[in-house]
Amino acid sequence: MALNNQILGIVTLLYVCIFLMHLVFFATKKEKVYGAMWLVLYATFGLHSVGLIVRWIESYKLGLGHAPLSNFYESLIFFSWCIALVLIVMRKKLKAPIITAFAAFVALFFIGYASLAPSVEKGIQPLIPALQSNWLHVHVFTCFIAYAAFAISFICGIFYMFQWKNIIPPKDTLEEITYQSIMVGFPMLTAGILTGAVWAHYAWGSYWSWDPKETWSLITWIVYALFLHARFTRGWKGKRIAVLAIIGFGSVIFTYFGVNFILAGLHSYGAS
Amino acid sequence: MSAIRSNSGEGATPPSTSTVDSIYRFLSSVRFAILVLSFIAASCVLGTLIKQQAPPQEYLKQFSESTYAILKFLRLTDVFRAPWFLILVSLFVVNLVLCTLDRFGRFLKTRKDTKIPSEKAVSAMANRFVVRNRGADEVVSLFNGYRTSAGDDRVRLLEKGSLSRYGVYVIHSSIIIILIGSLIGIMFGYRGFVTLNKGETKDTIVIRGEAGKAVPLGFKVKCDDFKVSFYPTGEPKDYVSRLQIIDDGKSVRQAEVRVNHPLTYRGTSIYQASYGSDPAFLFDIGGQEVRLAQGGVYKKDNVTFMVVRFERSVHNFGPGVMVAYIEGNEPKTTWFLKNVPQMRERQVMGAAVKLTEISDDFYTGLEVSHDPGVWVVWTGFALILFGLYINFFMYHRRIYVVRTEDGVLVAGASLRNKEAFREEFEKWRKKINGSE
Repeated sequence: MALNNQILGIVTLLYVCIFLMHLVFFATKKEKVYGAMWLVLYATFGLHSVGLIVRWIESYKLGLGHAPLSNFYESLIFFSWCIALVLIVMRKKLKAPIITAFAAFVALFFIGYASLAPSVEKGIQPLIPALQSNWLHVHVFTCFIAYAAFAISFICGIFYMFQWKNIIPPKDTLEEITYQSIMVGFPMLTAGILTGAVWAHYAWGSYWSWDPKETWSLITWIVYALFLHARFTRGWKGKRIAVLAIIGFGSVIFTYFGVNFILAGLHSYGAS
Repeated sequence: MSAIRSNSGEGATPPSTSTVDSIYRFLSSVRFAILVLSFIAASCVLGTLIKQQAPPQEYLKQFSESTYAILKFLRLTDVFRAPWFLILVSLFVVNLVLCTLDRFGRFLKTRKDTKIPSEKAVSAMANRFVVRNRGADEVVSLFNGYRTSAGDDRVRLLEKGSLSRYGVYVIHSSIIIILIGSLIGIMFGYRGFVTLNKGETKDTIVIRGEAGKAVPLGFKVKCDDFKVSFYPTGEPKDYVSRLQIIDDGKSVRQAEVRVNHPLTYRGTSIYQASYGSDPAFLFDIGGQEVRLAQGGVYKKDNVTFMVVRFERSVHNFGPGVMVAYIEGNEPKTTWFLKNVPQMRERQVMGAAVKLTEISDDFYTGLEVSHDPGVWVVWTGFALILFGLYINFFMYHRRIYVVRTEDGVLVAGASLRNKEAFREEFEKWRKKINGSE
């Protein structure tokens, strides 16, 4: 096993640790535990970044030389890294431990699936010519930051449907976090789609070809555009907004996984 | 839905308004925008779940004949070029233009008559404090990053991030610009394909989607060389065509075209898209050199045979060619293996036939596109990113500085990011009054 896989294995265990610390916090209600959890999260994010950099360096040693953003394994690992990054950036706004608990759980799920599922190829694979472009980095980065921010709005949307005193924050807080995260995700998704379009222009000769992945990213974009207009112009509140946040993330998941596994197209890189 | 209304004046229509007016109101409403966008999103879902622009056989594998007829009639097999989809997009454009103009008009009006609020209104604001040991001018000068936008000698209005209020209009206009750019591309552009063997020159391309229609390029493209390199795993690493553009009989441009690095000449871009190989087989038949391609037939004197199959590797013996011929009314086949000396030469219908060489020449597949609207689209992209930045990462805030009898009253408000503004305001309070 390559060094990067070992580091990322340890990172997976640290995400387990973060999730468990949340459970301890909910059981004991000691603020110190929650504070310590954040320290562990920072450390995990640091080591996760080291893991990605080591993988990048190792790809050069193999003579393949590319950023770890090219296959399914790498995209899952990068997705959980983005979730951790969004958690850290939005720390001040995420005032509810249940949100960080579930976001950490989603990050754990993806990195865990990447590390443990036998069907996921963990080695560093060569980069096919179409992916050999500097647009790869900015395109994948913007898209995945958007996905991570939308994951947080999804978690809030789900919790909106339930009540659990002292664990699930008040509805107002949930709504606030929902649209704070969509306000991060939406510009990022737009940037992701546009950088993808520019790249497609240079790689395939057309900035838009109604490829299933492109089309689904547009569907996702429309859903969140509807969210913003419903929220800010029509003044929608409450459950309807939560439902839109859930539908939006459903569309994100379909754009990310569904298109690769169900629909075929130019964009099927992430599937192997 | 009726409980909450925006300030966009979409309230109940007075009975006196004409039909035209109410249609206009509907077309420019946010509610209509939500409706049209939902329909567009739903069409996009259909356009990915149903295979698009596939040959009829593919649909008939999946659907019954009558279902296929319905799909075809509704143009669900080519959603994104269907007239009803274009109508939806047009409705969206109409709505976006009307809605944006409507809002912008009202925005300009409210901006023009920015009212200086009364002292009473200011003293009722949630974020406020009173300064007793500094003058109003000094307080105003302390607000770095804010500019005084209005006021009299008693009340002064300071603003920051007012650019963010234009964000919505910039974003909406950019979408229109992008759509105009793509329309220019659809109307005046074309996309096609051309394959070139090494050394070959062509001046026409085959247009996509129009059953092999050839269109002149206006200049000639020559492929001087083509190379493919592979990773040790066998996957392609790089493919490069060395092209020459010949215009008016003169070589005007030479360039290497690889994936992600197209060549543009006179507004037409040439992209490395694919490659293939056309193997050719050199035979020595009774001392005579004959070159045959796959499916090629040799016919001379009483000898007739045809190249029917080519394998790059025949049971690990290297490349081989299968030849078919007729002997005694019986069809027969035989393999020529290039790397096995005793299987390189055979008797075919009484003649000595020897496979001397297999030339496995790659040809390059080039995508050609001419899109005069692409710069308009890029402009739209840049503008929309700018609009999103000012809309989502900046926000408009106002500070009021009021001279009162018991000191200088400072108050502030923001429409968005109230929490962040409250924290900012607290910092100003500490800076101006000290942490008392």
